[in-house]
Amino acid sequence: MKKEDNILSKCGNRMPFTVPEGYFDNLTENIMAALPEQTVQKKQPRIITPWKRVMPYIYAAAAFIGVLFFVRVASYETTDMDHSLAQEEDVYYSDEYIDSFFETAMIDDYTLYYSFIDFN
Amino acid sequence: MLHKDEQSRRRAFESIVQANSEQLYWHIRQMVLNHDDANDILQNTFIKAWTNIDSFQANSKISTWLYRIAINETLTFINKQRNITSIDIDDPDIGVGDRLESDPYFDGNETERQLQEAIATLPEKQRMVFNMKYFEEMKYEEISDILGTSVGALKASFHLAVKKIEEFFNKID
Repeated sequence: MKKEDNILSKCGNRMPFTVPEGYFDNLTENIMAALPEQTVQKKQPRIITPWKRVMPYIYAAAAFIGVLFFVRVASYETTDMDHSLAQEEDVYYSDEYIDSFFETAMIDDYTLYYSFIDFN
Repeated sequence: MLHKDEQSRRRAFESIVQANSEQLYWHIRQMVLNHDDANDILQNTFIKAWTNIDSFQANSKISTWLYRIAINETLTFINKQRNITSIDIDDPDIGVGDRLESDPYFDGNETERQLQEAIATLPEKQRMVFNMKYFEEMKYEEISDILGTSVGALKASFHLAVKKIEEFFNKID
């Protein structure tokens, strides 16, 4: 036996309330009469001007040009750097050139030694 | 709502009122006990529903949506009443039993009046769950949809309410 059954057997589950006579007969009518006016918002037709029509294409073209410009600048910088690196790599001095340089440079071994330290 | 003009919207809404007003009335009445208060809250419920009909999500039942509005309106009313009673020192709080005794639209016997007194001692949410289950004989799943509370929590709430009501009767017996 459920606990609520004790209450049920004692009191039942009838709602012990009444309403004025004819209350439910006129309820819908009364409720409807109390409703405020409701302004129905009509959808305004969308006006599409020629400018609005071409705008997406203009945006797309601008974006495309922007991308092209970026790619161009980036590739230019890369090429420049590659050249300078290549140039650095291409520098080559023959042993004969170096020997003759030091022979005619009028510098002693001490100065030469320190010039290497400085370079490093 | 799919209806475009005011007239057809009103006609559609009228059928909603027709189908739901009586059940909602009894739900509200059970909470506030007084007919005039229940009538006012019911009117406000439908005015709210009418002015916010566009926000109704079609994935839930219209009756569930109306129940939610009615519950909010009822709780707002009860809180307002409580504030008025607590600040008005000239009008001392009259017990539920006395109020029902002098109410021409209460036709219950002594035990039914005591049951109403016992229910009035419950917290609002518990009272609501008890009324929906005990008087309106709603399923826990339906109550869960309306109140947004899990079935387990509702069962616990109902059993706690039953226990308190039994204790109330034990005291007066």
